[in-house]
Amino acid sequence: MAVTTMEDPASAPGEILTADGRPLKASLQRSLRQSKLRAAGLVAIPFLFLLFTFILPVLDLMKWSVDDSQVNEVYPRTFAIYEQWDGKDLPGEEHFKAMYQDIANATGLEIGQTSTRMNYEKSRWKSLLKVSKRKIDKYAKANPDFAGPYKDYMVSDVHKRWGQPEFWQSLGAMKDPVTAGYYLNAMDMKFDFEKNVVAQPEDRRIYKMLWWRTLEISLIVTIACLILGYPVAHLLATLPLRYSNLLMICVLMPFWTSLLVRIVAWMIMLQQQGVVNDSLVGLGVLSDENRLPMMYNYTGTVIVMTQVLLPFMILPIYSVMKGISPVYMRAAQNLGATPAWAFIKVYMPQTLPGVGAGVILVFIVAIGYFITPELVGGKDGQMIGNYIAYHLKSSLNWGLAAAMGAILLTAILVLYWVYDKIVGVDNMRMG
Amino acid sequence: MAAAGALAFAASAATAADLTITSWGGAYTASQQKAYGEPWEKKTGKKIHWENYNGGLGEVRTQVTSGNVTWDIVDVLPHEGRVGCDEGLFEKIPSDKLAPAPDGTSFDDDMQVPRPNDCVAPQIWWSYVPFYDEGRAKANWGDARPKTIADFFDLKKFPGKRGIHTWPNALIEMALVADGVAIKDVYKVMDTDEGIDRAFKKLDEIKDDVVFWSSGAKPLELVKSGEVAYSLAYNGRVGAAILSEGEKFVPVWHGQVLEEEWIVILKGTKNLKTAMDFVKFASAPEQQAGQARFINYGPMRKSAFKIMKDGEPWFHNGKTISEHMPNRPELLDISIVASPEWWADNGDEIKERFEAWKAK
Repeated sequence: MAVTTMEDPASAPGEILTADGRPLKASLQRSLRQSKLRAAGLVAIPFLFLLFTFILPVLDLMKWSVDDSQVNEVYPRTFAIYEQWDGKDLPGEEHFKAMYQDIANATGLEIGQTSTRMNYEKSRWKSLLKVSKRKIDKYAKANPDFAGPYKDYMVSDVHKRWGQPEFWQSLGAMKDPVTAGYYLNAMDMKFDFEKNVVAQPEDRRIYKMLWWRTLEISLIVTIACLILGYPVAHLLATLPLRYSNLLMICVLMPFWTSLLVRIVAWMIMLQQQGVVNDSLVGLGVLSDENRLPMMYNYTGTVIVMTQVLLPFMILPIYSVMKGISPVYMRAAQNLGATPAWAFIKVYMPQTLPGVGAGVILVFIVAIGYFITPELVGGKDGQMIGNYIAYHLKSSLNWGLAAAMGAILLTAILVLYWVYDKIVGVDNMRMG
Repeated sequence: MAAAGALAFAASAATAADLTITSWGGAYTASQQKAYGEPWEKKTGKKIHWENYNGGLGEVRTQVTSGNVTWDIVDVLPHEGRVGCDEGLFEKIPSDKLAPAPDGTSFDDDMQVPRPNDCVAPQIWWSYVPFYDEGRAKANWGDARPKTIADFFDLKKFPGKRGIHTWPNALIEMALVADGVAIKDVYKVMDTDEGIDRAFKKLDEIKDDVVFWSSGAKPLELVKSGEVAYSLAYNGRVGAAILSEGEKFVPVWHGQVLEEEWIVILKGTKNLKTAMDFVKFASAPEQQAGQARFINYGPMRKSAFKIMKDGEPWFHNGKTISEHMPNRPELLDISIVASPEWWADNGDEIKERFEAWKAK
């Protein structure tokens, strides 16, 4: 504010004073400041709410996607000398000594937690560490003066897997406390023991395919919603009030109906012994053996998601159409355009802000969709959201879940940015 | 991401009950409520709040690591009973805090299988079992009826769609037994890469005719509607349909995969003493047997199984229950007892491979 750079305003000659003798300028500024403060106070409540229920939890989860510190803390000796090993044959005596001491010093809880992490890199770390911890604890108690040879003891007495270089090699991917490994996993890649990026073995590659499928389904659903929703919105905006109200109810009723109810209704309609197939067979269009598979697969996911998301397309387009004056169309036709031409050249461009809002709304909701694919997706209609949920809930691989979430979030932000560049977010109108 | 926020809300919405127990809902929770929830409430004058969940330790881990524990007791799968204990998410329950058998046999000796750790208290045995609808079998298969797990994988002899669940547990085991592996060697074979390849090859044989389900009620619906001819399901669901709704479902026990179910106390619960008291009560033989009055999941304690058997007809509506129990002695030779240790070790990798297989 410029006030501080000015001379004391009260002493300036010809200053206008308010009734209480204060300079008008200062008094104005004061009341302005107060109203700003009040506005900030009002914004603070939703902002704090967002901060604690959304931003902080998201950041916290993001932390999981790069954090590999625990493994490094629990096995400090092992990782300190890890790089001295050439990674080919079994590591030498000092590596086994380090591992022995790390296991002996860790608590059972730490072994349990880190073994879950290590099992992501290589199956069977879990039981290897559990058994080793039990045996080494017992042995260390009975032989407090034990000083080697550690390699011999670990391989022949503790567990034969200590004699397999693959387990030692898998440690390489975890040797830094901050890792990009989860992001690689989310893209069907991983670190080898020297931290080179390599592809996952072929029969474990699923995520790339899932990302593409998620993108594809979201696009198909968005386009389908646009094609179906645009005419409906137009009807809604142009019909006489008593018909359009009825139509509006038809749009809103499913919108207000429980998602689960709608999904189950679709199941009844579309499954192979369902209403649609039964009717088609009854009419003789299909033979009984050739019933159409429309449920518990890709098709089912697309159909149900389109229906569920349709209102998100119709409503913003409708609200924009409602505001378009019919005068322009009449003018265009007066000037010689055919109705179709006028519609395309004059009416449609004016609806773009609504279309933009609808498209982006539907697409963003669709890309993170989870419950519909879960219920009707079957074997090839699952989306990335289902796998994020799986890793959060069941496999407890929160690092991978967080990485996938972060990628999804970034993808949405990038698409939003692209949209802004092409169409302009300022042009978007939600209503 | 939104889940974390939603959880924070759920946590703050805890009720004023003395104990919160989270289980699977439906007929299963109902059996727990009737067999020991309500009696315990009557005995102690305390109040239980029941919640439902869909499995997985995600929410449990969130509560324990954030120090905001609102679930006191959770009903968990065998794998989770182990992982959660390893990760320090559960309180320890010493054996001497659990009730002995009526004849004085110690708790540990009264268990059909030993506890894998001292975090879990016994709940029930359940199984993945294939079943079909007798009402539709004639039209589908004429006079032939499936007898073994191999028939589940035999689309020529028994045509029609197959219902299977969306995760690999039990499917790998069943595929191998169907392919001729002896039941006692299943996990030995699964320890080799060739064994896993072999299981997936067997699964390939039914892949084109598979319908996937993920919630327990679904397979019943699928079979009832004729959408699939032959489906895997939780044995308790099939049993409930037969016993309570008079459905003509037929479970084919050969090659079923038996799984344990445990109850655990969450680490850091504010109601530890109450929870301990409840766990002792709920895992006592009388209550274990009592649960079998309402659902055909098998008690884990030998003495409980005996109480039930001696009390036949034991089911609450006057029917006999023993022949619906997945862990009755005559089935043990033809059942695969799941190895949660194997799945804890290999589950992540197999799950990924299974997903890749589904998508191919």
